[in-house]
Amino acid sequence: MARDRNRTDKPGKGVTRRGFLGTVGAGAVAAVTGLPRPGEAVPEITEPKGMVETALSINGRMHRLLVEPRWTLLFVLREQMGITGTKIGCARGECGACTVLMDGSPRYACMTLALEAQGHEITTVEGLMDGEELGDVQQAFVEEDAFQCGYCTAGQVVAAQGLLAANPSPTVDEIRAGMAGNLCRCGAYVHIFRAVERAAKGRGKGGGR
Amino acid sequence: MTDGGTPLGGSHARPDALAKVTGQTRYVGDIALPGMLHAAVAAADVSSARVGSVDTSRALEIPGVEAVMTAQDVPGANLIGVIFPDQPLLVEDRVRMVGDRFAVVAARSPEAAWRSATAVSAQLEPLAGVHDPVEALKAGADAVHDSGNLVHTFRVERGDIKKAEARATVVVEAEYRIGGQEHAYLEPQACLAIPEAGRVTVLASCQCPFYIQQGVARVLGLPLSAVRVEQAPTGGAFGGKEDYPSEPAACAALLAWRTRRPVRLLYPREHDLQATTKRHAMRVHHRWGADRAGRLRFAEVDVLLDAGAYAGLSTVVAERANASAIGPYDVAAVRVRTRVAYTNNLFGGAFRGFGAPQVTWAHEATMDRLARELGLHPVELRRRNVLGERRRVTSTGQRLPAPVMAKACLEKAVAASSAGQPARALPPGRWLHGTGTALVLYGCNLHHGGQHLDRSSAVVILQADGSAVVRVGLTEMGQGNLVAAQTVAATALGIDPVKVEVWQPDTTTVADSGPTVASRGAHASGLAILEAVRRLRRRLDPVAAELLGCEPSQVMLGGDAARVFGEPEQTIAMEQVVQEMVRRRIETIATGWYRSRRRRFDPATGLGSPYEFYAMACHVARVAVDPDLGLVRVEHVAAAHDVGKVLHRDALEGQIQGGIVQAMGWALTEELKLSRGRLLNPGFTDYLIPTSDDAPAISIALLEDAPGSGPFGSKGIGEPSFIPTAAAIRNAVCDAIGAEVDRLPLTPPVIVEAVAARHPFSFLLP
Ligand code: FES
Ligand code: FES
Repeated sequence: MARDRNRTDKPGKGVTRRGFLGTVGAGAVAAVTGLPRPGEAVPEITEPKGMVETALSINGRMHRLLVEPRWTLLFVLREQMGITGTKIGCARGECGACTVLMDGSPRYACMTLALEAQGHEITTVEGLMDGEELGDVQQAFVEEDAFQCGYCTAGQVVAAQGLLAANPSPTVDEIRAGMAGNLCRCGAYVHIFRAVERAAKGRGKGGGR
Repeated sequence: MTDGGTPLGGSHARPDALAKVTGQTRYVGDIALPGMLHAAVAAADVSSARVGSVDTSRALEIPGVEAVMTAQDVPGANLIGVIFPDQPLLVEDRVRMVGDRFAVVAARSPEAAWRSATAVSAQLEPLAGVHDPVEALKAGADAVHDSGNLVHTFRVERGDIKKAEARATVVVEAEYRIGGQEHAYLEPQACLAIPEAGRVTVLASCQCPFYIQQGVARVLGLPLSAVRVEQAPTGGAFGGKEDYPSEPAACAALLAWRTRRPVRLLYPREHDLQATTKRHAMRVHHRWGADRAGRLRFAEVDVLLDAGAYAGLSTVVAERANASAIGPYDVAAVRVRTRVAYTNNLFGGAFRGFGAPQVTWAHEATMDRLARELGLHPVELRRRNVLGERRRVTSTGQRLPAPVMAKACLEKAVAASSAGQPARALPPGRWLHGTGTALVLYGCNLHHGGQHLDRSSAVVILQADGSAVVRVGLTEMGQGNLVAAQTVAATALGIDPVKVEVWQPDTTTVADSGPTVASRGAHASGLAILEAVRRLRRRLDPVAAELLGCEPSQVMLGGDAARVFGEPEQTIAMEQVVQEMVRRRIETIATGWYRSRRRRFDPATGLGSPYEFYAMACHVARVAVDPDLGLVRVEHVAAAHDVGKVLHRDALEGQIQGGIVQAMGWALTEELKLSRGRLLNPGFTDYLIPTSDDAPAISIALLEDAPGSGPFGSKGIGEPSFIPTAAAIRNAVCDAIGAEVDRLPLTPPVIVEAVAARHPFSFLLP
């Protein structure tokens, strides 16, 4: 349950919003699966028409760009803007690797359309730096060795930032629940809890931002 | 700095920390090149069929598609597979597994590529196939390959079972059904192939760039020297990026070769779950006997691995399972048979523990069963049989050097468990509590059968400013190989770890070092680095001695300086020594090489020394079980590990914590739901891996009394951290509910069924 905290709704089973990373090879065995047979129409491709103009505020900077209404914020960040700190682990709201802040609250970028982000302040892991310095949560993650392979880490750091904004001095139970929308397959959870606690303590002393 | 001013055993920040917390690590998916195309694969979604023809015409019509290639377009050999040549890269005449590839596509966008892939169609004649390894070995079963379904049989034959059985007063028998597991590394399979006339560079998320080099060279028909593979930062692997990445890499290379453009292949999660290797499902049959005093007399184990449709690494996994089947116990009479069978299921591959977790789960279940039959506490039965000072011979007849740490691990973990606090309060409800213990005897590094791969290469280059570049042949995938290599190099050179930069492996900078597996990363790279530093010092020490005015044999390195032994005041900065070497044009680069020691082993009887040395561990789990809902909460795990020597404390403890969490998922929730070889739950909504809210409290005890042959006496930790946990959880659940459960995972229905079966009127239940 806690996995859904502060998150957009998950799609139902098997629903994939991102067509281009969607079903795979299902039509390959046409003769068996009853998918389009040779000679039948191929599923239609959406041409990159119908682009709309939008303005997105990302890490404190306004960006004007053309997007297709169906594009996710994750796709736009990574593939259109080259802001690649936000990772893609599942593209369907199940892992948290793509977590960004929308007006300070954690949000799965793969489950957010770019157009939904219009008018909101988006913060990615890149935006947590304090100039050349690490942000306090990032610093705490370094000090507590709160990562292994690092692939979930951007999402974890961002989620922790959002958690602390909502609850500046969480109990360990609140950290466990608050971070449960971000899977870490390396299982660095114990160190992640310590990092969040350390960052919270630092803020309590007036050390953080 | 600890340990006499060196970084050894400390907790300095990992070299990759900064990039990882700022999002600057460049995983393959974060790299795009001008003109780069995107690849996709057209994969079968049935598990067994004869293939008439593959039609790519409609796939080619999709706008943006640049190439669609099938088996006949492969310039070299259409073969992939690490050990057996049983797996075509692209389907020829048979589909043997869901995920078999009919064609590969390159297009200008990932969307066009995957759409095109779905437009590939194949004329198929469906076959029944075989989806159960027991059925596969019966006479008349559908043959997955012409060679038959039995891939290999391994054995251990020691002592006289008949005689031993006569002295056993209690005999227990059980049949365990142990499920597989998906690696679920958070970064799916990813690679990028960049062609130039006559040669190709591949950047891949992987555990073994050398396997990829061999696979790509074979498929393209190129010499190995024309294929350069660099390991990209790797977002988790756990074995899933040992053998498998050669397949996507060969696909991307094929398309790059044809289109003469860079081609990137990123697996969507669903395809990754559906098509890649898994931990092997196993059936394990046990017949074990003990005498009235609670001493084990004999053990018979019969293991059957479901290899799936291709052999992959299954025989090597089986070899470790076979050698690990009895665990750290003293048993005079042993019979083990381990068979590997082809089926049309998803194929098994390397996965943390490599066959040992399944057989460990079984031997620890049987120990608890025996204890209950004998009326002994499970810990007491283990005390009476575990290897120790007076009993040092393993089930394969290998005599271990003293001290043997199994007993010490047991006592430490038991003590830590009773002292440990649960992670959090339980929600209201009816909860039963239980404790379970499990031990493991882990053979470090590669088995005798894979000895030829147990080597590694390192390069150390001293820089004119006193810093050092280190390259090793083993990979970082989160386990801490970079920080281990950095720590070893910094300790040996006597410089601050921040001055050591370890770069990821590249087949053009280091020699083939084999795969980063079997918990051997820090061991093999560390020893190769130490050798390189020894060679460097043959040139460095004389220069330093001259500058210091002493004999070369008196030169010591430490604190970023060279110093004179016995005269701590007399020092010269490392930077100055290296600058003097540069001025004199003395070579500042050296290579290092490691290979494991030769040993005796007889594959026919399974007797001898399958491993060079061993690490032992004990985990004790405390669980709460809701018997009505079948829910299990792991409250606390106490882990005691025989580690030899701590190289980097944070990374070491991180491995133990991570191993426990991952094994807990395997034990309880990670069920691969297969239907005729097809995975029904290819997503994290139905395939449940542990979240932060599920993580148990963990207490760790590190025992450094028995040095291994790794750098500074260290032993590997990656796999021993995983292996005993699931068994300990199983035993704890059985303790809580008062019934035996012989299946993994222990999902709610399995537990509810076990509880119900214990009910006196259970025969009335439907
Ligand atoms: S990528 Fe968005 S939740 Fe997994
Ligand atoms: S650090 Fe690897 S998934 Fe979290």
